[in-house]
Amino acid sequence: MATLIEAEAASGGADITPRPQNRRNVRETIVRYRWLLFLMLPGITYFALFRFWPMYGAQIAWRDYIPFLGIQGSEWVGWKHFEDFFTNPDFPRLLGNTLILAALSLFIAFPLTIVMALLLNELRLNILKRTVQTLVYVPHFLSWTVVVSLTGLLFAIGNGPLWTWLNDLMGTEINFLADPAWFRPLIVLQDVWKNTGWGTIIFLAALASVDQEQYEAAIIDGAGRWQRVWHITLPSIRSTIIVLLILQTGQILNTGFEQIYLMSNALNRSVADVFDTYVYFVGIQQGSYSYATAVGLAKAIVGVILIFGTNWIAKRFNQTGIF
Amino acid sequence: MTTRKRLRAPLAILTVTGLALTAACTSGGDDGDGDGGGDGGGDALSSLSIMAPYFAAVPPEEDDPIDLALSELTGVDLSVQWVPNTDYGERTNVVLAGDDIPDVMVMGKTPAFVQTAEAGGFWELTDYLNSGDYPNLVSENPEVQEATSVNGHVYGVYRSRDVIRHCIILRADWLANLGLEQPQTTDELFEVARAFTEDDPDGNGQDDTYGFINPAWPGSIGSGSPYDALELWNGAGNVWLEDGGELVPSFTTDEWMEALEYERDLVQNGYTNPDYATMDPATWNEPFLNGQGGIIIDVQSRAPQLVELFREQDPANAESYVALVGQPEGPHGTFAMPTAGYSNFLAIPRSSVETEEQLEQVLQVLNDMNSTEAQILLNNGIEGDNFTVEDDYAVYNEDRQDFTDQVSGAWAQLGTNVAGYNAYSTQPATPYDEELAQLRLDLQAEDLENAVFNPAAALASETYQSSGTQLDTLISDARIQFIAGQIDEAGVQDVIDRWHSQGGDQVIAELNELYSELG
Amino acid sequence: MARVKYRFNTPAGKVFDVVNAAVLIGVGAIAILPFLYVLAGSFATEYELTTRPFFLWPNEFTTDAYASILGSSVFVRAFITTIAVTAVGTTVQLVLTALMAYPLSKIDLPGRRTIMSLVVFTMVFSAGLIPTFLIVKQLGLLDTYWALILPAAINPFSLIIIKNFFQELPKELEESAKIDGANELRILRSVVMPLSKPVLATFALFYAVGIWNDYMSPLIYLNDTSKWTLQMFLRQVTAASSLTAEDLGNELPPPAQGIKFAVVMVATIPVLLAYPFLQKHFAKGMLIGSVKG
Repeated sequence: MATLIEAEAASGGADITPRPQNRRNVRETIVRYRWLLFLMLPGITYFALFRFWPMYGAQIAWRDYIPFLGIQGSEWVGWKHFEDFFTNPDFPRLLGNTLILAALSLFIAFPLTIVMALLLNELRLNILKRTVQTLVYVPHFLSWTVVVSLTGLLFAIGNGPLWTWLNDLMGTEINFLADPAWFRPLIVLQDVWKNTGWGTIIFLAALASVDQEQYEAAIIDGAGRWQRVWHITLPSIRSTIIVLLILQTGQILNTGFEQIYLMSNALNRSVADVFDTYVYFVGIQQGSYSYATAVGLAKAIVGVILIFGTNWIAKRFNQTGIF
Repeated sequence: MTTRKRLRAPLAILTVTGLALTAACTSGGDDGDGDGGGDGGGDALSSLSIMAPYFAAVPPEEDDPIDLALSELTGVDLSVQWVPNTDYGERTNVVLAGDDIPDVMVMGKTPAFVQTAEAGGFWELTDYLNSGDYPNLVSENPEVQEATSVNGHVYGVYRSRDVIRHCIILRADWLANLGLEQPQTTDELFEVARAFTEDDPDGNGQDDTYGFINPAWPGSIGSGSPYDALELWNGAGNVWLEDGGELVPSFTTDEWMEALEYERDLVQNGYTNPDYATMDPATWNEPFLNGQGGIIIDVQSRAPQLVELFREQDPANAESYVALVGQPEGPHGTFAMPTAGYSNFLAIPRSSVETEEQLEQVLQVLNDMNSTEAQILLNNGIEGDNFTVEDDYAVYNEDRQDFTDQVSGAWAQLGTNVAGYNAYSTQPATPYDEELAQLRLDLQAEDLENAVFNPAAALASETYQSSGTQLDTLISDARIQFIAGQIDEAGVQDVIDRWHSQGGDQVIAELNELYSELG
Repeated sequence: MARVKYRFNTPAGKVFDVVNAAVLIGVGAIAILPFLYVLAGSFATEYELTTRPFFLWPNEFTTDAYASILGSSVFVRAFITTIAVTAVGTTVQLVLTALMAYPLSKIDLPGRRTIMSLVVFTMVFSAGLIPTFLIVKQLGLLDTYWALILPAAINPFSLIIIKNFFQELPKELEESAKIDGANELRILRSVVMPLSKPVLATFALFYAVGIWNDYMSPLIYLNDTSKWTLQMFLRQVTAASSLTAEDLGNELPPPAQGIKFAVVMVATIPVLLAYPFLQKHFAKGMLIGSVKG
């Protein structure tokens, strides 16, 4: 037993998965990893049952699915739905709008979350730190319906408090909610308002694991505030940042539906239409689950490629990937 | 660090979750005896399950007195699966994919329903309903029943609604201040909108009012919006227009374009609220109450709602604020906008009601549920409990308000009233309310004579099923963009051309073929 | 150690502290103001809500909205149900996730890459509502509370993040535990989990919020209205617009704005209250210090 554990500990740093050469090795591997394999059992069962088994249903992407007829009973139509999606005249516009919103989220909302976490971490008064943390995470719990109707209230033409203030500031009357030029800024603003505070939680958890002695040592060495942030705080959340970044690239085509749907109107639709709202109209309102599934599959393939790609790049630069 | 602690806790948790999983797996076998399963085979039904949406805060529970009374009345054990109205459609799709489908489902004529019905998922009821075997299910309004059909095949007992609901609601005090008459034509309406904007109707010496209040409409074309009404009044037809035996879309007519110019002028002259493209319809009453705007084109039931809100604000003069006016005459004639006349229907799935005998039994139950006695249960509640009858009106017991709310917000959803509404109306609280109620009835009768129905209501074109939402949105967006001054008439024409090329031409061809088939 | 920091603060550092505090207080205010409006609105009369654009204190104070929500025994029952389901569900989900994350954090585990790839795939592609419903039904979970917990038991995102935290823990403690003869289960229980309290607290919160706010699962999986959770009743009130009332036919007035706001409060405040309890775990970072000390 003891030797086994030692052997395992010794191999702990190896990056290459040992490949069992023959049956004896397979048995040895199982014996050696029996505890770990046992621990994983419920999780594997879960993924098999609830995540992979239902995926047989994905075949409706190649059928004209009618729930009443069942999956097997619905007509097989091959690649029809995929072709419809990619040859749709609106496709380039949908792709463009989706990517722009994703980029804004990646380059504005995401860094802001990190900055916010760092600033919170630098607060010295514990009571203040806790209070602000609690306050900024409150908006996360308001549904998009509520956030959008509050936005409508604040930016209402004529009497919205923010509308009045901004118009005095800029000297012109702008219809923020209808002007296509203001659609994306508002979406980002809502997203930042609603989710930044919540997003800091993961980073704060990572920061909580930083060894405080390092700071003390750095102070004694005469390191300034900025140097401490740069050399101790940031490196300690670097792997969390990278993992979140990799995972977010996989979601690049998922802008979310509800917020955009609620914020779009006849005058800003040219910039507001994204894949997720389009799928809602075609897939859900027009009852074509097959089409929605086909689009979902296409998006998933892009997502997988992006995740594996960014993960590979991260590894090349000697950073932690997600695998 | 206590690395020597025993392992009991994690093991216990593991065991519990493991047990949960295995329990989950093994209990799968005995699931088949749900509501639907028991009805299998050709036996007569002893129980009947109905799936229906509810609007109330809380749905009725299994031991609800109405449930018991209805079960007794119909002779079957009635069980209702209540689903929140907001996500009813989502739930129906999932239920249809499973194998314990209720015996009766409230369904709308959505693309999903049409697909399912055409695949044989629901009983066709045309002959049964017309046979006269079920007297309470014979429609008093055959046009409405026809409109509920899919290309002439009726798949459900429709839930009847008032055919005329649209009207114009104006600030009566503003009309009086300016010495204006109630508008009877669209031109007069335009003039009132101008005066409400420019002539200081509230007499405060400030330019702080406008005429029309239009919210951002959630539906596209033909969805009962103020714009749809103005276009119909101008003679553009109701979504489709018969022209020399051919169906043409309303928005290809000159009358439609003319109405759009009227709407644009209202906006460009400032006679409409500036946030017409974005205003949340939930806040529609606010500018009217606050004295910012003075004209609303919407359903009549908004008028008593507004009167109630004015009562909170100014009880003494509450009755002087709201004027209710019927649909106006247009330059090309008098046309009135009707509703579809129904809101969804009770359809009978073939997988739960398998034989014709069972179907006849279900129809008999639905027939019984539309008797006067049952209508009173569904719409008023239980006499002597939550209401009493005075002068043929229902007077509700305030202590039982929760129950009354459940009746009107849930049980009433099972009522079809196709052969007429025979339950009691609510007793008007004041003479003014009674007057208003009478006015509404008079206006309904008057406008019904001029109602313009959608000639394509019963027709289900395949192309429209698969891309209608997008096509319609093209047009309703172009409408708002034109009104906002972002595109001109040529721009609207471009969008209409796109509508034609992206599937509209097929829709026209398919509908006309169906139209000529049905004669 | 706070003392050490203060002692060595430079003048520039002091300026930064003041500015930082001011900025964050401002950010906190911006975050909370609209919420306070909803809170104030939930105590205001319908008339005030329709006539005043934005306020933080109602002119006329009323608790009618809360009375109409909390007065019903159904709401109280749903409230208790939801708390119980959330508590049990969070525990089950967190334990299952941690149990799977730990082996996956061992980079020499055979098959690890394959499993991780599959997990990532489930993150970007979900099978959809209907197939999942059919599985849940086949497993006999319909109309049971497990249907609200098990289908979402392991969130791939949470799994990956937790796995990464485990992976970053200093190996020394685990190794010394192994030399002491501890098996993996014991190491997870008494070394890894205590060291990962902040991240486990974070994901406990994520899971709890997920279950608390879940509306789709009860809608799809629970027929029996007596089993319904809070969101089933609340969503009906908040999502109904004045226009849906047109389907009614019998002129039930739309839910008042004040009731909608009160509903938002009833749905939000319990989860908000959970946060400070978990927050204390975020400050337990010194544990790692003890590894080396």
